[in-house]
Amino acid sequence: MRIIETRDLTKVYGSNGNAVHALCGIDLDVEQGEFVALIGPSGSGKSTLMAILGCLDLPTAGSYALDGRQVEKLTGAELAAIRNEKVGFVFQQYNLLPRATILRNVELPMLYAGVPRKERRRRAQELLERVGIPDKANALPGALSGGQRQRVAIARALANRPALLLADEPTGALDSKTGQEVLGLFQELHAQGNTVLLVTHDPSIAALAGRRVELRDGSIFDERQQAVAA
Amino acid sequence: MKTTGAFRERLLEAWTELRENPGRSFLQALGVMLGVASVLGGFSISDSQRRQTEHVFARIGGIDKLNVLPTDTIYDGAPSALQSANLGLRLEDASDGGAVPSAKAVNATSILKQARARVRSEHADQERDVNGIGADYVPLNGYEVEEGRGFSAHDFASGAPVAILGAEAASVFFPSGDAVGKPLRIGEVPVTVIGVFQEKNFRFREGQQNIFAWRNKIVAVPSLLVTSRMNGDQYHRLDRITFRVPDLAAMANFSKELSSLVTSNHRLQKDFRLDDVQKRLQRQFSQGQVYNLIFMLSGVLALIGGGMVNVNIQLASLKERVREVGVRMAIGAPGSEIFKAFMTEALLLTLLGSAVGFVVGIVFSWTITKLIGVPLTLNGLSFLWATLMAVVFGFLFALYPAVKASRQSPMEALRYE
Repeated sequence: MRIIETRDLTKVYGSNGNAVHALCGIDLDVEQGEFVALIGPSGSGKSTLMAILGCLDLPTAGSYALDGRQVEKLTGAELAAIRNEKVGFVFQQYNLLPRATILRNVELPMLYAGVPRKERRRRAQELLERVGIPDKANALPGALSGGQRQRVAIARALANRPALLLADEPTGALDSKTGQEVLGLFQELHAQGNTVLLVTHDPSIAALAGRRVELRDGSIFDERQQAVAA
Repeated sequence: MKTTGAFRERLLEAWTELRENPGRSFLQALGVMLGVASVLGGFSISDSQRRQTEHVFARIGGIDKLNVLPTDTIYDGAPSALQSANLGLRLEDASDGGAVPSAKAVNATSILKQARARVRSEHADQERDVNGIGADYVPLNGYEVEEGRGFSAHDFASGAPVAILGAEAASVFFPSGDAVGKPLRIGEVPVTVIGVFQEKNFRFREGQQNIFAWRNKIVAVPSLLVTSRMNGDQYHRLDRITFRVPDLAAMANFSKELSSLVTSNHRLQKDFRLDDVQKRLQRQFSQGQVYNLIFMLSGVLALIGGGMVNVNIQLASLKERVREVGVRMAIGAPGSEIFKAFMTEALLLTLLGSAVGFVVGIVFSWTITKLIGVPLTLNGLSFLWATLMAVVFGFLFALYPAVKASRQSPMEALRYE
């Protein structure tokens, strides 16, 4: 099963005279269960590609199929539904809702998906156990350490059993030890069969992934296929 | 959110948002509060006054009455034969009036024939107005017989020499308080007192004079007695005919038919006038409506002012919340959901503000009515109106920030620092 399939994906910001070509014809395929690291220096188009792959933005041209669904022509509301159903985001800054409890933060994607209250509760609690912080359900994000917050964010990303787990510099705000733990969690999730796309600028982190995709000036510069480690 | 509990969830989120930002929420609710208080207060005060006036009229037999009164006719030169032959308002007008097609709506008819006469008892001798009355006069004018009995059908039909006195008249002519059964002389006619009316008493404010004092001076006898033995008027001319028409819609029709009937009875001469009590009162009330309008307007202005403050506060807070909106969008909230969340917050804020506004409005109108000495009347409708207006303006002014929030691109919202 192919999770990501892009053909000639192009993104242009601005128009005519001062147009900026952020992406110039990306062809990228990711199979189910892959752990892919997307690397590249700043300005290489990483963020733009991630936004399009995460259905936060639409390409200017080219096609993109996510989990078998063509998304390049969808409306805002349809994209929101796709994000809700198929994509789990993990951000560098965690992006938890500061005034909602941990449990509610994890419940939120299920809330938008219309999962009944009891089921939501049960699954959110289950997810918190899975990421290793079962006892923090009623705390507010402010009371948690960075590593714990990122675990909550991962639990939230997994809430609707997404086809694709999209992590943008997930260890960027953590110290190296905590960062290692979080990366360990990603590896574990990968081992359980999740498809993970990790955006980073750190080659040592990229090395953990089964596959590296390097972006430069809006094009895939170098893709080295490696043997899947685990 | 697609589940049935979606609104509840939104309400919960909105409540969390308001509770976590008490200062901001208070400022936002302030305009709503003042507006609601003002609208409610205005309504309550004018309601209380109207209720008081209605109360007065209820005490004198209701306002659903149509009076027919004779007018003084001024003839241009010597009156013509036709004019001289005209007999004015008579008993026939009352009985014919009760027979027009639309008279179904009439549920009581009273007639009045007045005379000025010397009234004498063992204790007093005074010049008084004597009211010769018809059958329904007593209930139509809110009188109640307290001692003795009322007039019987036989009394009215035969013009029996009997009288009923108002409380004041009874105490003047019979200071010892045993009027019933005593003889009284009205002009040259000896009559027997058969009853005494209950005292009528009404004061707008404590310590003010009794505005119904004149009603206690009544000396009532059957109208036939006045026309046959006091004025020597064989034509039964009357000073007033009153019809009670409880159905307001039927009143207009009846008054038209009655007018044309009496005109033709009177050989096409306009020697009478109709006085629709309800209409007259409505004219008076409509002057009071001006104050209602002023309060209402100030309430609306407060709501608009508060609404504009809300727009500003919402837009400012949107900057703090733009990232949060981005996160919600990233995890699957469509723009419509963001819109609904903002609107729910506005609704909650409006309702909370209204609730506080109710309390302030009630205290406000209670104080004012206390000052002007009128009992406070609270009308459910005014609460409804005040809330309705607050919600309408609350929604109207919440629209812009809510639309702005919901139209953000999730990408840019997430990147916002």
